[in-house]
Amino acid sequence: MNSNELNSKKVNLKQMNSVQMTNSSNALRYLTKWRYASSLISVVLMLLSLTVIGVKGFNWGLDFTGGVVTEIQIDQHITASEIQPLMTAAYQQDVSVISASDPGRWVLRYANIPDENQRPELQQVLAPLTSNLTVLNSSIVGPQVGQELVEQGGLALLVAMLCIMGYLSYRFEWRLASGALFALVHDVVFVLAFFALSQMEFNLTVLAAILAILGYSLNDSIIIADRVREQLVAKPQWNTTDINNLAVKSTFSRTMVTSGTTLLTVVALWIMGGAPLEGFSIAMFIGILTGTWSSISVGATLPEFLGLKTEHYLIVPLPDTP
Amino acid sequence: MTSIDNNKPFNKQLNKYAQWKYWVLIVTLIILFLSALPSWYGEDAAVQLSTKPTNTISSEQVYKVLSHAGISSKRIDQQQQNVLVVLQQADQQTLAKNILSESFADRAQVTLALAPAAPNWLLNMGFEPIKLGLDLRGGVQFLLDVDLDLVFKNQSTMVSDSVKQFVRQEHISGVLVRQAGGAEVSIETTQTDDRGLIRQFIAEQYPLWQVSGHQDTLLVSLSDSEQVKLTNLTVQQNLQIMRSRIEELGITEALVQRQGENRIRIELPGVQDPATAKNVIGATASLAFYPVAETGSVNAIVLKDESDQPVYVARKPVLGGDHIVDARAAVGDFGMSKVNISLDSAGGKLMSDFSRDNIGKPMATAYSEYSRNDKGQAQQTTKIISVATIQSQLGSKFEITGAGTHQEAQQLALLLRAGSMTAPVTIVEERTIGPSLGAENIVNGFAALALGMAVTLLFMACWYRRLGWVANVALIANMVMLFGLLALIPGAVLTLPGIAGLVLTVGMAVDTNVLIFERIKDKLADGRSFASAIDVGFDSAFSTIIDANFTTMITAVVLFSIGNGPIQGFALTLGLGLLTSMFTGIFASRAIINLVYGRDTRRAIKV
Repeated sequence: MNSNELNSKKVNLKQMNSVQMTNSSNALRYLTKWRYASSLISVVLMLLSLTVIGVKGFNWGLDFTGGVVTEIQIDQHITASEIQPLMTAAYQQDVSVISASDPGRWVLRYANIPDENQRPELQQVLAPLTSNLTVLNSSIVGPQVGQELVEQGGLALLVAMLCIMGYLSYRFEWRLASGALFALVHDVVFVLAFFALSQMEFNLTVLAAILAILGYSLNDSIIIADRVREQLVAKPQWNTTDINNLAVKSTFSRTMVTSGTTLLTVVALWIMGGAPLEGFSIAMFIGILTGTWSSISVGATLPEFLGLKTEHYLIVPLPDTP
Repeated sequence: MTSIDNNKPFNKQLNKYAQWKYWVLIVTLIILFLSALPSWYGEDAAVQLSTKPTNTISSEQVYKVLSHAGISSKRIDQQQQNVLVVLQQADQQTLAKNILSESFADRAQVTLALAPAAPNWLLNMGFEPIKLGLDLRGGVQFLLDVDLDLVFKNQSTMVSDSVKQFVRQEHISGVLVRQAGGAEVSIETTQTDDRGLIRQFIAEQYPLWQVSGHQDTLLVSLSDSEQVKLTNLTVQQNLQIMRSRIEELGITEALVQRQGENRIRIELPGVQDPATAKNVIGATASLAFYPVAETGSVNAIVLKDESDQPVYVARKPVLGGDHIVDARAAVGDFGMSKVNISLDSAGGKLMSDFSRDNIGKPMATAYSEYSRNDKGQAQQTTKIISVATIQSQLGSKFEITGAGTHQEAQQLALLLRAGSMTAPVTIVEERTIGPSLGAENIVNGFAALALGMAVTLLFMACWYRRLGWVANVALIANMVMLFGLLALIPGAVLTLPGIAGLVLTVGMAVDTNVLIFERIKDKLADGRSFASAIDVGFDSAFSTIIDANFTTMITAVVLFSIGNGPIQGFALTLGLGLLTSMFTGIFASRAIINLVYGRDTRRAIKV
């Protein structure tokens, strides 16, 4: 209100312009409420997510735990309860028998790798049930390899985060940068929580998806931050809340279109990609959704709470946008 | 007409690309299109016969054998010593290989291969289909762990043995020599003078070892740089051994590469039965030194050397390769290449006794491999790798000269070390992907790509009617470029996660255009003409586009450098997709828009 009065006293062409802007900033005020509400939801979701991860943990895939996984194709009438006891007896450990996408396809998994020469042949083990068995694929991962992959994956996440932090702090003022960064953490935590809650297998491709989410989630936040920076310089007399509203409003249609097309393609991957890409597509799907959400609820709002102001960008003389 | 004067200077700079830019665009697109084309045709299963130049097989002979067995072939190419049979049906590949290797067992080596199905004019231009990863093609993959502890332990045994011997010779008492694990030996004595003597001995005999004192204890350890060197040598030599063994398996497109410090990754596309491959990979090698016997002697065994010439050697070797601790190629006096060999103390004693009595006589080095054949029976192959004359009495350290060029000396050193490092390799990871599953993955992946592409094209056309088709042309160009680049870049492999990366790229690539179009909309709303809105829109969106793509690029680069196998495939298509989408989204679509709408000075247009 104060700035309104100040502006109205100036009589020149610029004044016209700024009155127009103030009007539009007033018109956007309703957005503030929504943004704050979304931030609150995000905070609650974060706390819930962390709890879920803490309580349930992950269903680590073979890539990380080591062990043996074999996918087989057998006669359709054979059931898991027939396979299970044969497997357990032969390999002397708990063997999980999971139905795969098609009827007659089974995924057999057990943790301890028997010695090379004493490993019973699957054909012989399941001979009482069927003689018509095809091994579609099999993976044997030693425990030390699994451990290494966990370390490698953690390292990849860490390095990617650090590089992104470096780039953000170089490119944006720290308040805007931390907005984008927290939005990113928000998305990764949320996707992780989904995998903890659903106990879907967390394997290497899901890890790749999470790293890709790092990139994509930032995308939306950065585009809003870019707009905020631009408007802070262009409209020094506006307060930050209004600038944020304007930035969110003016990038909204782009955010919707891009997230929309990316979501569509991810859904295509989900439907057509088959079992190997299922975890990947689901992780990406959730990641893109929360990425869009968090770019508004965290990416745009957090810098405001951290006290982002016009003068943070006025120190560097930038040419006025035309 | 009246506005001509107003617009003339304006139009000159606005929305006009120089002609060369169009040429760059068109030439790039044509080249990448041609490069992408062979992948469209795919590859046919083939069998290759390699013969000796003196004993070639004609394509007619091959055709006869195959048609007799009821296997139809698309074509049979003969190129000097090689005959390539391209099969009609991929599932007959193994059958064809077995039949051919039976028929031409003594004359040719038969290997499985893939032949591009694209027309010849395309292949003659040097374009090839995209290489597919194991998850799309089917095959077996192994990760081997090279056990370095054993190598280091052998080294420290050698040092501790020779220190013990030195102590005995010099009649020093009260010395305790122990292997401290790894490449370390600890020596304990209360006498300061003795410690000095031992220090001096080690400095003279084993200059690569470092001695550090701690009260009464001397700690002798291999220097870090030397440990790294030893590690590299050992892994390198195992790589070499694996390569030559897999060559014998008859898989032309096998991949054998080092991964990390002491791992070896082996990918065998097309192999369906890991057992055979495992027998070959798990084979152990050994080495022995034999006294050479007179040619034709009855009390001798005959071994072939590398050029298939028979060498008569005594029935009992002087010593086995298990006594060899180290072997390295070096340059000796007069620039002659030689191989330095270190034996353990027992080996040194045997060699010393033998060589004392046999100065001037030749000694042969034999290399044996034990492996299992198809039927699981153990078999041994032995060949002579060198015959050298004994010049003087030898000790635990001696050298072989006359091994030929430096390269040959290195090869010999490699083989000698191979004998000393028996079975240090264990399989820590094994993955088999059936061929049907690979084919299924390809079908699923590309179905997802087609669906994703169709939905995106439709959406863009409906949402940005006037500009949407430009974005769509740019998107199609983007895909062509991506496939072209994947085929062109050496070592680029398409995996299932890689296809996922392609699908994601489709969704994200339009972002560049969306950002620009939204800016143009804004500028039109500000009351600018269409042409000027285009100009300003592209300029103001540019830095945002770079910012948005750069962070994804960071993750792609990190994934590529840290991840492995399939994940690298994902990182590759993700990263390349970003580059091509920026090229087509900014450059190509601007080029089109400039041509079509560049002069459109109407205002209040809806896009």
